[in-house]
Amino acid sequence: MSDASADGVGDADGATAAEGRGFFERHTTRAVFAAVTVASVAALLVAGFLFPDSLAGTLAAVLTSENTLAAALRLSVPIAFAALGGIFAEKSGVINIGLEGLLIVSAFGAIYVADVTGGVWIGFAGGVLASTLLAALFAVVTIQFRADQIIAGLAVWLIALGLAPFASQVIYGSPNTPTVATSPSVSVPVLEEIPFFGALFSASPSVYLLFAAVALSWYVFERTAFGRWIRASGENPEALDTAGVSVARVRYAAVIISGVLAGMGGAALSLDLGQFTGNGPTMVNGKGFIAIVAYLFGNYNPIGAFLSTLLFAGLDAVQTVLQLQGIGVPRQLIRITPFVVVIVVLALVGRTRLPEAAGEHYDTEE
Amino acid sequence: MSAADRLRDALDRLVEASATERILISTAALVLSVLLGAVLVLVAGRMTTCTAGEAVYYLGVGFCYDPVVVFDRLFLGALGDPLSGGWSPDGQFSVTLRETTLLLFTGLSVALAFRAGIFNIGTQGQMVVGALATAIGVLWASSFVSGTVGTVVLIPFGVLVGATFGGLYGAVPGMLKAYADANEVITTIMLNFIATGVALYLVSGVFKDPNSAANQTVPLPEFARFPAVLFGGRQDFSLVALAFGLLAIGALYYVLEHTAFGYDVRTSGVQPEAAEYGGVDAERTVVASLALSGALGGVAGAMYVMMVLGTFQTGIPSYGFDGITVSILAGNNPLGVGVAALLFGVLKSGTTVVQFATDVPPQLVGVLRGLVILFVAMPEFFRMLAKGLPGRGSRREAVATDGGAVTGGGVADDEGGEADE
Repeated sequence: MSDASADGVGDADGATAAEGRGFFERHTTRAVFAAVTVASVAALLVAGFLFPDSLAGTLAAVLTSENTLAAALRLSVPIAFAALGGIFAEKSGVINIGLEGLLIVSAFGAIYVADVTGGVWIGFAGGVLASTLLAALFAVVTIQFRADQIIAGLAVWLIALGLAPFASQVIYGSPNTPTVATSPSVSVPVLEEIPFFGALFSASPSVYLLFAAVALSWYVFERTAFGRWIRASGENPEALDTAGVSVARVRYAAVIISGVLAGMGGAALSLDLGQFTGNGPTMVNGKGFIAIVAYLFGNYNPIGAFLSTLLFAGLDAVQTVLQLQGIGVPRQLIRITPFVVVIVVLALVGRTRLPEAAGEHYDTEE
Repeated sequence: MSAADRLRDALDRLVEASATERILISTAALVLSVLLGAVLVLVAGRMTTCTAGEAVYYLGVGFCYDPVVVFDRLFLGALGDPLSGGWSPDGQFSVTLRETTLLLFTGLSVALAFRAGIFNIGTQGQMVVGALATAIGVLWASSFVSGTVGTVVLIPFGVLVGATFGGLYGAVPGMLKAYADANEVITTIMLNFIATGVALYLVSGVFKDPNSAANQTVPLPEFARFPAVLFGGRQDFSLVALAFGLLAIGALYYVLEHTAFGYDVRTSGVQPEAAEYGGVDAERTVVASLALSGALGGVAGAMYVMMVLGTFQTGIPSYGFDGITVSILAGNNPLGVGVAALLFGVLKSGTTVVQFATDVPPQLVGVLRGLVILFVAMPEFFRMLAKGLPGRGSRREAVATDGGAVTGGGVADDEGGEADE
């Protein structure tokens, strides 16, 4: 069974050979972009070391601060979880543009359950459940009822954008919830003493959970039959069907996993602060969409997606510090840098090769 | 077939359904959303607290919110209570028409882009840019003219400024899509955030009204605002603006159906390969459609400034996102946008009435907005319903939708469990 589905993936690779040239072009853009990023950071650090009082000095000090790494990791959590979820769904052939909505419902659900039960981890589970249910609805709508994936994904986002502040208003009389207790950070003795990288070993439990999820997702895609089924479902559903595996079931599983993962991200986001804020674009504030760019930039690889998330989140961490330090650029403008960078990255990476059958409904041939 | 082509194919399915079927689906989607909204109101009424006297009872169970009252207020209230006598156009009815006017423009903006096969989610940002440009431009120009002449000159000028800047802002994702293959869904959403951020910066700094605590521009003089013909009692709705909106419907319909550009737009939306083979310049069409779509969003912003607020203030309501619902409800047809804008205008205006009459939060309309889109997006669901097949399908939906917010303390599936399959 798994042999046949592996063949299916092989066929898909053959079919995409025609696009090979485009692929290499993109690969270089991506590599060039990464190289330029690394080089400019290195140049900045050298300049900052030589002229500690200049702007470069300020930036270098911010970049090498352990607090920046800690903040970047903390900010990565919701985006990276959502990106992992997006990879599962999209690799299986379902474009889940509603990740933002999943983050919103889980952020609110986690606070609500934590507030009612008093348990942070029960709240976490509650958030994950909320997101999973919404993802299941999305799965039914797109897989069973063949709704257009993009429009249904937008609907998921807009429903969540209305539902979470609505529920908060009903329950708490305000779009913002009261604060609940947060869980303390977990530190690894000795290792947390390492300069800079010590931040990796003194972090909130959700950061460790993220490391585990990245590793596990990588393992699932690279080493398990289920991972091969997901790939085949997105690249060559006919072959998967021929091999006797139900495409619909694989897609249901993948979309629901994306709900679980995004839910972990959203729950971690709100429980980290102990509050859900639902004004305007809510506290999620575009993280779900940034997640989509992160996994496109990471080329659907869980580790790649995590690294590109760390790039966006690192930028966010730096801009937060710079807002406080004051470098002559107004606060409101520094705040939009992550969004600008997302557009620049997307323009440079250009068209990523989506899974062959992504966005298409698949009818079982009986 | 590339991903973008597939997205367009998906749009085709919406476009190609026959007109009658589409009207049926849109109506059914609206009815179903309102019914689900009623369920949501009931559930919300169980979750909040109220005195026994305020509660209503259905089947022996007490609820704090009464969906019958809610929907009575939502629809009759929005129309200014035509059944209770003493109806006057100055009341809530003018608010409904005001919302309709703004939704006409954002709806047309989204519809044009969708017809070209482009998901413009950035109407909101284009509206913000257009609104800010209008507020600043008209304020500047208002020092040169005054009186009736001022009104006659400044209003077309303000609309033009809004359209220009909205159009330029719309052209940005157009060029990114045409020449850098950047997905417009993401870029337009990011540009929404950027527009809001930059507007906040400008309005809290250089262009801030020194006499106001709020982040807003200096208010426009009275003669630079839309005149309130017939609706004298209210200053924030103008028949002139509505007439302008109806004109825009006709104009867009004509452009789409009877001009060479409209043909390019429609064929690019339906069959991009065939369009290109037939000599349509794909890149140019993408940029032009998004620019025109942005211009319509910018006009919505101009209307908001010159009709509703009289100034630019941060925190523009989400007319741009409502425009997505309006357009999808209308099957992306300009003529349909007129009807859909009125329906959604009633919903939006009614929500504020509901808020006064009951304690139901105004965010309800946000939920309805999403539900309508969800239902219109799944014609298959209604076809199955019509065949009388699975009645369980709809029930499952209702449970899952409510479950999104009303979470129990259940234990979530561990991801590891799924991975072992």
